[in-house]
Amino acid sequence: MKLNAKDIASGVFLVAVAAAGLWLNQEHALGTARRMGPGYMPMLVFWVLMALGGIVLLIGLFNGPDPLEKWTPLDAKSLAAAVAVGLAAYLVAPWLGPLFAQNYADVGLGMLAGFLVLCWAAGWRMLGYVCAALCVFSLLLEKGGLMLAIIGTVVVSAIADPDHRARPLGIVGVTVFLLGLCWWIFIRQLDIRVPVWPWSL
Amino acid sequence: METLIANLAHGFSVALSFENLLFALIGCLIGTAIGVLPGIGPVATISLLLPITFGQPPVTAIIMLAGIYYGAQYGGSTTAILLNLPGEVSAVVTTLEGYKMARNGRAGAALAIAAIGSFFAGSVATVLVAASGPLLTSVALSFGPADYFSLMLLGLIISAVLAQGSVLKSIGMVVLGVALGLVGTDVQTGQQRFTFGIPELSDGIGFVAVAMGMFGIAEIILNLEKPEARSVLSTKVGSLWLTRQEWVRATPSVLRGTVVGSVLGILPGGGAALASFGSYMMERRLSKNRHLFGQGAIEGVAGPESANNAASQTSFIPLLTLGIPSNAVMALMVGALIIQGIQPGPRMVEAQPDLFWGLIASMWIGNLMLLIINLPMIGMWVKLLQVPYKYLFPSILIFCAIGSYSINNNVFDVYMTVLFAVFGYMCAKLRMEPAPLLIGFVLGPMMEEHLRRAMLLSRGDPMVFVERPISATLLAIGAVALLAMALPNLRKGKEAALAG
Repeated sequence: MKLNAKDIASGVFLVAVAAAGLWLNQEHALGTARRMGPGYMPMLVFWVLMALGGIVLLIGLFNGPDPLEKWTPLDAKSLAAAVAVGLAAYLVAPWLGPLFAQNYADVGLGMLAGFLVLCWAAGWRMLGYVCAALCVFSLLLEKGGLMLAIIGTVVVSAIADPDHRARPLGIVGVTVFLLGLCWWIFIRQLDIRVPVWPWSL
Repeated sequence: METLIANLAHGFSVALSFENLLFALIGCLIGTAIGVLPGIGPVATISLLLPITFGQPPVTAIIMLAGIYYGAQYGGSTTAILLNLPGEVSAVVTTLEGYKMARNGRAGAALAIAAIGSFFAGSVATVLVAASGPLLTSVALSFGPADYFSLMLLGLIISAVLAQGSVLKSIGMVVLGVALGLVGTDVQTGQQRFTFGIPELSDGIGFVAVAMGMFGIAEIILNLEKPEARSVLSTKVGSLWLTRQEWVRATPSVLRGTVVGSVLGILPGGGAALASFGSYMMERRLSKNRHLFGQGAIEGVAGPESANNAASQTSFIPLLTLGIPSNAVMALMVGALIIQGIQPGPRMVEAQPDLFWGLIASMWIGNLMLLIINLPMIGMWVKLLQVPYKYLFPSILIFCAIGSYSINNNVFDVYMTVLFAVFGYMCAKLRMEPAPLLIGFVLGPMMEEHLRRAMLLSRGDPMVFVERPISATLLAIGAVALLAMALPNLRKGKEAALAG
């Protein structure tokens, strides 16, 4: 067999999106070809997507081999754990008190927990830390101010690079530099509406 | 002709205002910087700077963003020549001959011809944009909704056909992009579609989140997974002047590169990367010194570098005259214009003369600035190259975070960016191209509008798309392009061209 795993996965993904889209589209009126309702274009688009996904999938059975990168058992385990922990954190977040009483804090907390658990496996580590860093940013921004958010983001993202763990002094310099630069560009020059210091809330 | 000159004069008066000059310079500087640095491209940069441009007048915003795009073409060659690493995708082929020239001690000459060729090509392409703008606009004004729909369909098909990798998967990505564009309020009935009751989605998925996630953040993650390959600079730049013989060899290549680049830039899905590949292929076949290729032939630098800059200018033509983005950067420009309250389309030349002519004039001024930025100031960029990626990526990340937050002052957009980063990462692992998705995402809502209008006018008869001559022609071209890709020979040719 000449399985092209990449194409098969892509095809499955496209078909799945199309199926979900068609299912969700049931609640929209189709209208007629002359007077199209809100559901008409989605119907066309998702059927085309379904067909394309199907063809990609079928051809993928023969035009390989092009395997996916190897997953270790740990990769699979940590992905499952990440989804579970993320969901749990999302559900628990509303009871965590006033610190998280802000827009989408539950989503943010769930994603952060999930991405950090994902870092358990070496294969997911870069993805996990970089995305976790962005979640830290949004969680800290409105309750802790821009400066705190920058420090948190840089620190979490720096863990992704083994060099920084060995010699952390460089990243301290980058943090200080970024604090100054962002203050100058975004607060001084552009004046974006965002709390800056933890005490200026 | 006289009106053209009068219009250009008006354009220069706009572009030479202090503010516009300043932002053209800022755009060119940023463009060169991200061009020099591998691992961050114009799509990510423009999407993260978009929120900053909200407060500016539209002309100034577009002038700066355009400067980033063509500035990146200048900067990309520096890294390619000195480090054998492409600073931009469009500079991949420059590494082939440019780095060899540097090894032969002619780094200065390679840098010089790259900049001079780019400047010449950029100037010619600018004139082309100015001349073709009003011409194409008058054609486009006779377009009906059915013709528009077919034109956009053609654009999507060609952008998928010319994208790297499997054509089928690229078309899949285009359609997926169109599907993502469906999210939000239906314009005609006001009904919410696919919003899951989330108020932030009623205006649709923010396209900055899509672009920044898939191009910016996903790129960072992929770069971090690769071990750093950048070596410390050992080559000396040397004299920045060309010998007489080098001039003689490079001139025809610059001319050919300009032509190839200008044509390929206009094509949907074309743009700078395709142009430089195309020109390299052509030089290897047509140049008198083709036996010297692989040993540092100046033709292999002069042609592609001219071509990619010409293409980055002419790719504005479909955007400015028809309102159709031909590549991912232009899709971002559409977004920038819409945010500014300007609907891109054939009426833009008439309705926004400041924008159209001001942008053209600024392109030429920007090219002049870039010549100075890149040649005498080359030392500064070499220094920038010595900043290791481990210090660079946290900074890019912070800028992405602040940029996506400040679009709506809502953390929701940051979380969306994270989602699209994960999606972009998955696409990279599955070899699905993100650029066609972005174009589909931007064109999707417009296509739906035109489709509905066309079908209403035709009383529900789909034959309108083949009965109108313009529409039928466009669809026929699209069908031919698709069929051509089914032929094995042509597909191999494309793969060879894109692989350099």
